[in-house]
Amino acid sequence: MIKQKLFAILFIGSLLFFYACRKADEVYIEKDAEWLSGGKQTFFDVTNSGFDHIFNGLTEREEENHEIGDAAFDAVFVTAPAPLNAGLGPIYNNVSCSGCHVNDGRGKPPVAGEKLSSMLFRISIPGANPHGGPNPVPGFGGQFHPRAIAGKLAEGDIDIQYMAVFGQYADGSKYALRQPFYTIKNNYTTLPSNVMLSPRIAPQVFGLGLLEAISDADIMNRADENDKDGDGISGKYNVVYDVLTNSYRLGRFGWKAGQPSLLQQSAGAYNEDMGITSFVFPLESSFGQPQYDGLNDEYEVSDSILHAVAFYMQTLGVPARRNAYDAEVLNGKKIFNAIQCAACHVPEQRTKVDVTFPSRSNQKIFPYTDLLLHNMGSGLADNRPEFLADGYEWRTPALWGIGLTKKINGHEYFLHDGRARNLEEAILWHGGEAENSNIKFRNLSLSERKALLKFLESL
Amino acid sequence: MKSFFKFLFMALFLVALLTACKQKTTEPIPDITQAILIDYSTNISLYSYTELALASDQLHTDILAFSMAPTKAGLEKCQGDWKATRAIWEQSEASLFGPVSTNSIDPRIDTWPIDFNRLDSILKSNVVFNQIYIEQLEESLRGFHPIEYLLFGRGASKQYTQFNPRQLEFLVALSENLKTLTSSLKSDWDINGGNFYTVFSSAGNGSSLYTTKKAAFEEIANAMVGICDEVANGKIGEVFITLDSTKEESPFAKNSLTDFTNNINGVLYAYQSKNTKADGKGLEDFVRQYNLSLDGAIKHKHASAIAALNNITMPFGEAIHLQPIQVQNAIDAINDLKNELETNLLPLIQLHIKS
Repeated sequence: MIKQKLFAILFIGSLLFFYACRKADEVYIEKDAEWLSGGKQTFFDVTNSGFDHIFNGLTEREEENHEIGDAAFDAVFVTAPAPLNAGLGPIYNNVSCSGCHVNDGRGKPPVAGEKLSSMLFRISIPGANPHGGPNPVPGFGGQFHPRAIAGKLAEGDIDIQYMAVFGQYADGSKYALRQPFYTIKNNYTTLPSNVMLSPRIAPQVFGLGLLEAISDADIMNRADENDKDGDGISGKYNVVYDVLTNSYRLGRFGWKAGQPSLLQQSAGAYNEDMGITSFVFPLESSFGQPQYDGLNDEYEVSDSILHAVAFYMQTLGVPARRNAYDAEVLNGKKIFNAIQCAACHVPEQRTKVDVTFPSRSNQKIFPYTDLLLHNMGSGLADNRPEFLADGYEWRTPALWGIGLTKKINGHEYFLHDGRARNLEEAILWHGGEAENSNIKFRNLSLSERKALLKFLESL
Repeated sequence: MKSFFKFLFMALFLVALLTACKQKTTEPIPDITQAILIDYSTNISLYSYTELALASDQLHTDILAFSMAPTKAGLEKCQGDWKATRAIWEQSEASLFGPVSTNSIDPRIDTWPIDFNRLDSILKSNVVFNQIYIEQLEESLRGFHPIEYLLFGRGASKQYTQFNPRQLEFLVALSENLKTLTSSLKSDWDINGGNFYTVFSSAGNGSSLYTTKKAAFEEIANAMVGICDEVANGKIGEVFITLDSTKEESPFAKNSLTDFTNNINGVLYAYQSKNTKADGKGLEDFVRQYNLSLDGAIKHKHASAIAALNNITMPFGEAIHLQPIQVQNAIDAINDLKNELETNLLPLIQLHIKS
């Protein structure tokens, strides 16, 4: 009898022991676990430096290139002639990359008394340029420049006003959003009456190398432009002009997927945001305007530095998720899927096999984007086309790291123009293809909404 | 008699057993993590930013007085104020997180290089130097370095007779802006202001940003690592590798080496939660609870880094050409300290602070 009891105790004890071990394995040792947002380029850092981690597995030479790019990303440009970082302007938006992408994170709209710093405005008139892109505004080009070097005229100022928009959840609780209105004032010359204005917050720059490594085919295969599957979500890819190859390629970077590569994205930002020329964009952004200095001088950023800056962004890792297995977070994840957020914010992607760039090759990553354009409704529309993206369409932004924005960037302004003052407002602004998700969100109970937000904060 | 020995044997056995058990029992290590966060917030962040605001206020007051009646003594006073303010700021750079980073205070008060062409243009213009105007200026036109340039001149050769009215007006406006920004930084931490003090010191205990103590401790350690990296591989390394003295910060006051030394001293202060007036519970005490030799290694490597900086005996812009071995040794010693913090201190924190 005693032996039988002893055996029973040992048996139950063994079961408990193995069960406990199995649970631990499932949570912590699972390969490609969802909390490893950037695959093997995931970093466990929730501090101020959380967005600034160099990829694992780089060669010594690559690490050096990354460091050079890092320093160049912080370099402050000044008016030429100068011994260091010369060539700013003549017209510009900011003086350094990190001036907009603070701590490699996202920018914000100015609050009262602040200058426009990490937000800019693209402008164009109806029609298209010779490459099918936005049609520049005579006298202003494709981007509005509120700053200029000494002796040159800035293009003007932007006045930002907000109007409250009220709404109500199904449970009766009320909310207030704010809708922005922009006015160009003090413009140095006449603006056409049909000018189109598109506000853009500086997006985060970490993890971009992994997004660049997703194959074109994977992105294009998800497109469903005519909504053949009838789920109310279409999604189309942008096709944009590649300056270096003089060809058309899939667009994947920028708020409307208007850039095909990080190199062109970087060169474009140097050119338009800071007035810095390069081998990709050798002409000053002021070309054709009275601010143009007429100097056919050397490229103001060298080929090697431009490549290093692009490489820096290609090799910035992604923060790991926090509390991914918290019960409320898991419930929020279920709701995220149930109300179809995941139809556009696609959780999982796999990077292509790339033997030339092994550190980002064949990684299962969790960016929460499909990199496709979606109609987001009239509330968010900028009514300004960019290649194939129309005035209602925006590219799904990645959500990884979004829960660390408050700590690392000190704010929670979201969406392309920073109108949303927190994640909840960002959801409530979703319209167009996401209108049904918005309705479902508003029909959730308070605890369900909290769970969904907690899930987003865990990303 | 037999049963007596049996009893005695059993008693001795029990005593031996209990004693053995007692010996095996380890004293629980007292949890000092909360005290460290409070003392760090008090003695490092709040103290530094309070002192910085006071020093900036003094600098502004003395520049204002100098602008009204320039004298040799007045200029020397302002130059001394600049160095004193700069020293506090550089030490505080070992704790570069929170509002100083998220509110972009750092770039607004400490950006290099200066846009000299623009500066000349501004000084020649008739624009009114009010605070709205200064706040709209680029970072390359305000903060420590334009003030330094105007106060010291190239080669630290500025004479009090060389100031024109526009320079004086601009100096007053710039120093007022520095005072305003450092004051707002102090207010951001103050419990009666933005109260980042409580946000940080209540980590893992209701903090809205730091949900675990571990996150706050990692923040402290990462900031220490970050400034070592910045000094070794940025402030010194970039200038030295390219032999380009135009990249040198604080060249006008010939203050670069002092800047570096204050940066690295800030690391030790942060490690110890210590300032010139108070010495609280710090990471030092936490490390000593678990790994005495690591505490010794950190202090030894810190001392080596300071010694290596002290071995550079001429202004940094000249030393990159004339004392390359000493400069390289300083880079190596600071990187050595950085590696110790990164590879041993951070893992120790992560091992012993779970939540």
